[in-house]
Amino acid sequence: MSGSNHKDHAALAAEFNKDEPRVDWHDETLWWVRQKRDKAAARVPEWELLRDTASRIKDNVLSNLSGYLRQFEEEATRNGITVHWAADANEHNEIVLSILSRHKIDKMVKSKSMLTEECHLNEFLHEKGIDVVDTDLGERVVQLAGEPPSHIVLPCIHLKKQEIGEIFHEHLGTPKGNADPQFLTHAARLHLREKFLTRRVALTGVNFAVAETGEFVVCTNEGNADMGAHLADVHIASMGIEKLIPQRRHLGVFLRLLTRSATGQPITTYSSHFRRPRQGQEMHIVLVDNGRSVHLGRKDFRNSLKCIRCAACFNTCPVYRRSGGHSYHTAVAGPIGSILSPNLDMKKYADLPFASTLCGSCSNVCPVKIDIHEQLYKWRQVIVQEGYAAAGKTAVMKTMNWVLSHPGVYHTAGKTGRWFMLNAPFTVKNGFNTWYRQRDMPTPPKQSFGDWYKKNKK
Amino acid sequence: MRVGLFIPCYIDQFYPQVGIATLELLEKQGCEVVFPPEQTCCGQPMANSGFEHLTKGCNDLFIKNFEAFDYIVAPSGSCVLHIKEHIHDPAGQKPPEAASSDRTDISALPEFANFPTANSRHNIPGKIFELVEFLTDVLKVDKLEASFPYKVGLHQSCHGQRGLKLAQMSELMAPPFSKPQQLLNLVKGLQLVELDRKDECCGFGGTFCVFEEAISVKMGKDRVADHIRHEAEVITASDMSCLMHLEGILRRQQSKVQIKHIAEILNARL
Amino acid sequence: MNESSNTATRNSRDKILNTVHGNQPAPRELPPLPEGTPVAPGDLAPTFITALEAIGATAYIVSGFDRIATMLHEQFPGARRIVTGCPQLNAFAEAAAAAKGLDPHLLENVELGILPAHFGVAENGACWITETQMVERALPFIAQRLVLVIPHSSIVPNMHAAYDRIAALEAEAPANTYGFSTFIAGPSKTADIEQSLVLGAHGPISLTVFLLDEGLSDAGFY
Repeated sequence: MSGSNHKDHAALAAEFNKDEPRVDWHDETLWWVRQKRDKAAARVPEWELLRDTASRIKDNVLSNLSGYLRQFEEEATRNGITVHWAADANEHNEIVLSILSRHKIDKMVKSKSMLTEECHLNEFLHEKGIDVVDTDLGERVVQLAGEPPSHIVLPCIHLKKQEIGEIFHEHLGTPKGNADPQFLTHAARLHLREKFLTRRVALTGVNFAVAETGEFVVCTNEGNADMGAHLADVHIASMGIEKLIPQRRHLGVFLRLLTRSATGQPITTYSSHFRRPRQGQEMHIVLVDNGRSVHLGRKDFRNSLKCIRCAACFNTCPVYRRSGGHSYHTAVAGPIGSILSPNLDMKKYADLPFASTLCGSCSNVCPVKIDIHEQLYKWRQVIVQEGYAAAGKTAVMKTMNWVLSHPGVYHTAGKTGRWFMLNAPFTVKNGFNTWYRQRDMPTPPKQSFGDWYKKNKK
Repeated sequence: MRVGLFIPCYIDQFYPQVGIATLELLEKQGCEVVFPPEQTCCGQPMANSGFEHLTKGCNDLFIKNFEAFDYIVAPSGSCVLHIKEHIHDPAGQKPPEAASSDRTDISALPEFANFPTANSRHNIPGKIFELVEFLTDVLKVDKLEASFPYKVGLHQSCHGQRGLKLAQMSELMAPPFSKPQQLLNLVKGLQLVELDRKDECCGFGGTFCVFEEAISVKMGKDRVADHIRHEAEVITASDMSCLMHLEGILRRQQSKVQIKHIAEILNARL
Repeated sequence: MNESSNTATRNSRDKILNTVHGNQPAPRELPPLPEGTPVAPGDLAPTFITALEAIGATAYIVSGFDRIATMLHEQFPGARRIVTGCPQLNAFAEAAAAAKGLDPHLLENVELGILPAHFGVAENGACWITETQMVERALPFIAQRLVLVIPHSSIVPNMHAAYDRIAALEAEAPANTYGFSTFIAGPSKTADIEQSLVLGAHGPISLTVFLLDEGLSDAGFY
């Protein structure tokens, strides 16, 4: 998926917007999730205090991450969990493969893990002949459809139920034309139950890992992580190194914030705490760096490592809602993805920090108070400094700078521009003027404010 | 008090009536208002596009033109926010910092060497105000000789609202307040309409409006539709950039809905 | 794992820890934890029940296990395989203890699972159940329908209190620190298809919670 030939966010978003009713549907669906979040948060009088507490706990974690990692490794190992360290995505994938190979297993169930999306684990394993079934309903849908998820919590939010019905008809044999969510979910239940019962390895993500006790927590509504793990001989958990929290009681803060921020529910159906392997089971946890340790050193950007992957920022972002997750061409999309991805590959993701009006809504729904919109602004400066500005922009900006730094030039330019707009409107009202495609130009006045002031006030 | 009037470039060139209304409003409140003629721009269009390192010219011009006033007032939330957060002091001393190996630490670059510090000569961030907050917080206006008998939709421009805290934001679980609304309530005959989405961005976003044209326009259309659904006859805001973008869409739709900067409404007579 | 992959992972470990250590920012203190909005003791159970019903579960306050057995008999007349972790219901159902240590796949056909839980959380209707109570980890998930029994007086106001209680439970009986444990809040569900809520995803399709109040007279039930 790498290479510079991919389309950027603006181009992909423009394609997405060709179907306006569909954009409206996508936008309204996600706005509704934002509203559910608002209602849930309003019922917690100490909501803003919780956000502040969570933010400060995560600040503490980042400031002592190496200590907490060591503590977690020690406690988890003592609990009987095998701890692995992966410097990058490839090493993570190799570690998972080596565990499967050692057990001579070529089939696996997987519950939601955005980290494994980031590492492209499914493709890697597929090439090695391993069959991976994603068991989160939304993830299974996109897996069958051959697409990546478009949202980190609601993977197939971009698909209509009729389309899901079609996908199930094609792959699961459900009746053609049946788009009833209840029916389709039940079909998925039966289909995936068979997978849970027959596969010996389950891979899960990690929502939180507790340094103090060496346990980790996996939150789901569907129960798929548990159905996989408790029936498997081997449970592998994949985790980004930043997912640690210091003490178990801190879970109280995060579990109160996570699901309310994500979907407006007070808590997920299951908040499962894994501390020791089941009798006779092997439990592994893979701690993955993949650029996080470098990002930690970035004074302006390290706060993005506080993220608990709730997607509240996605749901509130007016740009995300109208462009869809696939327009971001990265595993984690939306506002948080736009400040995390340039760390992974600044050139490939140079467009993402510009896919925003800097409205600031994201920062204010973030349960851990990441300064997302401020980081978007700062990434723009870095990207331009590193030479990845969009072609043509630099020349325009240099001209703009020259004009605006010289009052005489500015006044002349303004007068000239207005003259052309009034007397030769075709110079601006044409196909080359991007503004003019869907908006009228402002009506140019005869005199500027400066002119008026000179005449009337001085 | 001597107020330096800062008129954003696009208001100067395209909407002089907003500058005139701002000037008249402030003078009616008893301010001595001066418009330095050599002003140009705050530098925001370049900075928001990643070219903050090119804003030295605008930055220095701004300081030269405005540092001597008691207050600086502008009818633009985004410009004021930009100046507050990004104005540099060429003469200020940057505290020495250990050499950073962080290549993304732009403050370590020579172009960014002079961020405002405690030693800044000028106190521009402390004395620059957007018009609405100047009226409510400094002049503490509690009555206006203004009349505007129309149904008005208030668009909450993002930078003013979330950046300058002109009004409470819907994301926060906190008591509601709105400085623009407080002022509009003083205008006779004005009817404020309720919107479905009180503070969603209009989609202008600076150069975003052309570089992400499809999304920008869609966001603007949705804002306009919200106001029209609630029968607004006039859409107002404290930022002309938002209104210019919404107006472009309204005129393309041949809608009868008008746009008026809040300064014009607060200064309106029958 | 073989020698070379041990070395590789050791090298990665050291590299990661060193880079992290070198890049982590200056120390920041941990904040105090909030206690959350207090709930009057008399409101704990009603708040819990309201939260539970909002998430698609049902709740009953009962005076004893006889009552539970009667109600379950009424509500699930056709259930063919019922397994329970509550010894008081051994006359009514198959003892889960018999399944302990056996292959969890053998629980695949359990239609109704009845298990005790330690306590409930008023703010979100969740019940905390540990491994020993589950008997087999898969049981609360693989059963088609789940019933949980908690003491009526066990309900805590919020998640902060919940973790305090969890710590207290472990302090009481350190040998019983859980190897696995979970909060269960309602039946399994999903809204992945166009945000339509469907109860019954991969876990149980229904959840019933009995709040045991031995102080109740026989005539009083919710």
